[in-house]
Amino acid sequence: MATAQTLLEEKTEPAGLGMRALICIQDVLVEYGQPGKPSKRILNGLSLDIRAGEFISIVGQTGCGKSTLLRLVLAEEMPTRGQVLVEGSPRQQPDRRCGYVPQKYSLFPDRTVLENITFGLEVTEIGILGGFSPARRVRRKEFQSEAIGYLHRMGLRESDASKYPHQLSGGMQQRVAIAQALIMRPKILLMDEAFSALDPGTRAGMQRLIKDLWRETGTTVLFVTHNPREAVILATRVIALGRTGADEDGANIVLDLSVPDTGDELAIAALVQRVERTTFPGGAESDEQTGAPEV
Amino acid sequence: MSVLQIHAHPTRTTVWILSWFLFVTGVISYFWVSRERHRDNPDDRVMPTLRQMSQAFVDATLKPAEDDEAAANASQQSLATRVRNSMLWKDTAATGRRFLISMALLFPAVLLGLHMGMFPHVGAFFLRFVLFFDKIVALSLLPILFIAFGIDELAKVMLIVVGVAPTIILDAFNLTRSVPKEQIVKGFTLGAGDFSITYRIVLKQIWPRVLNSIRLNLKSVMLFLFAGEMIASTDGLAYRIALLRRHMGMDTIIPYVLWVALLLFLVDFGMRTLNRKLHPWFQEA
Repeated sequence: MATAQTLLEEKTEPAGLGMRALICIQDVLVEYGQPGKPSKRILNGLSLDIRAGEFISIVGQTGCGKSTLLRLVLAEEMPTRGQVLVEGSPRQQPDRRCGYVPQKYSLFPDRTVLENITFGLEVTEIGILGGFSPARRVRRKEFQSEAIGYLHRMGLRESDASKYPHQLSGGMQQRVAIAQALIMRPKILLMDEAFSALDPGTRAGMQRLIKDLWRETGTTVLFVTHNPREAVILATRVIALGRTGADEDGANIVLDLSVPDTGDELAIAALVQRVERTTFPGGAESDEQTGAPEV
Repeated sequence: MSVLQIHAHPTRTTVWILSWFLFVTGVISYFWVSRERHRDNPDDRVMPTLRQMSQAFVDATLKPAEDDEAAANASQQSLATRVRNSMLWKDTAATGRRFLISMALLFPAVLLGLHMGMFPHVGAFFLRFVLFFDKIVALSLLPILFIAFGIDELAKVMLIVVGVAPTIILDAFNLTRSVPKEQIVKGFTLGAGDFSITYRIVLKQIWPRVLNSIRLNLKSVMLFLFAGEMIASTDGLAYRIALLRRHMGMDTIIPYVLWVALLLFLVDFGMRTLNRKLHPWFQEA
């Protein structure tokens, strides 16, 4: 069994396994600003390789660039300098290789749960104008039965299928959002503080669910959170972002930890402490009410 | 207890009485003043009595206008034909036709606003121009429209389009921009392309709000329509009101004004109901 000491060992694998990495972030700089005004540097020279099948938690203080990093991987945003490669190639806009579960607005409000889950399948196969031919109708039925299967996997009832998002609780909405993303079988699942708005009990349940789904599907997960405990209990690797020096402009990786899947509470506590000390030197930002699921 | 309390909870009866009070007071005041004026001068035409207005309204719904060719043999026609040939029906149909054409022409305005909001190049191309156009007082363009399009239907319809379209375009543009970015990103990650996202995600989401926006602009549509009809037309509700004004025909003008208000109310009610039925997810409808 791994001891707390061995678990604290930092990940020392050199950057440069870019050829094998699913996601390769190379010397990325992100600046925001308007012409004639001093620009604000968010990320500064960040490099990171992520292999297929990893569960990465990204932690850091508010405004340190966690979500920006996620948006770069998503290709929703382009870096000012450097590049982000997914499967070895840069992208111009988000595509279906990445599933996305944001904290808010994760579902289409005008569609029922079933329509939300099948949207991706329908839009890719049936096209912009839809279709009413018998073959299409059969296909649509198949999509629906697949979606019902996902609903069950998410712990939702079939009777929820006809509900609109506003009729669901926050936790149920996020379950549907995960199903909506996973049904497309993405290579990467990006979750941006997806559980932040949930109550502790629901959050713990969602943590268990996402961990189980990750084990089952082997999808690479990038999970942004400001909660060190959540980061450690979920991930196989924790990336902490922060300023590397007092006069440093823009954040970079301040901690890159491998987390063995031991379930040892003592070891987890030590890791959480380590992440907290590095990420929030002035005091922990985490809320202690996140629940501790048995993952 | 003061009535001016933020936390006041008026009872249902109080709400009912308060909401109808001004209507009832207005009607009572009108008929009281009307009766007094008619007592002084039985030929008063400024404030007709209820009987005079009822008679004028019945005439309007059953008899053709004096300048109408159908007036010649009106007495031999069936009731249905008389109603169909009546002044009120013909005027309502003429105004309604122009109204519907104008509303149909507002649909491209919605699509333009949508594309301006979705595609930055389209937005850059049109936005400044539409913003400028929105500031032009449409009624000041009336002479230009009449010169350019003649005094036929086209000028009147164009007046409505010029007057209301920029507002609808800008509304649709702003509504499109207000759709959360997450929804668009989500669409891409689910395999949708630019146009799938535009029509299947964004347009569907903003549509109930666009309908609301059009509903709130109904009065502007009618305002421009009435301006056009009053200045250059040979039929229509506003034409009739303008014509009757010359003869001080208040006994017909007042029922006409109330008829227009009722029609507008019904269109508004219909659109609200339709919005609710078509978009059960839409809470604001």
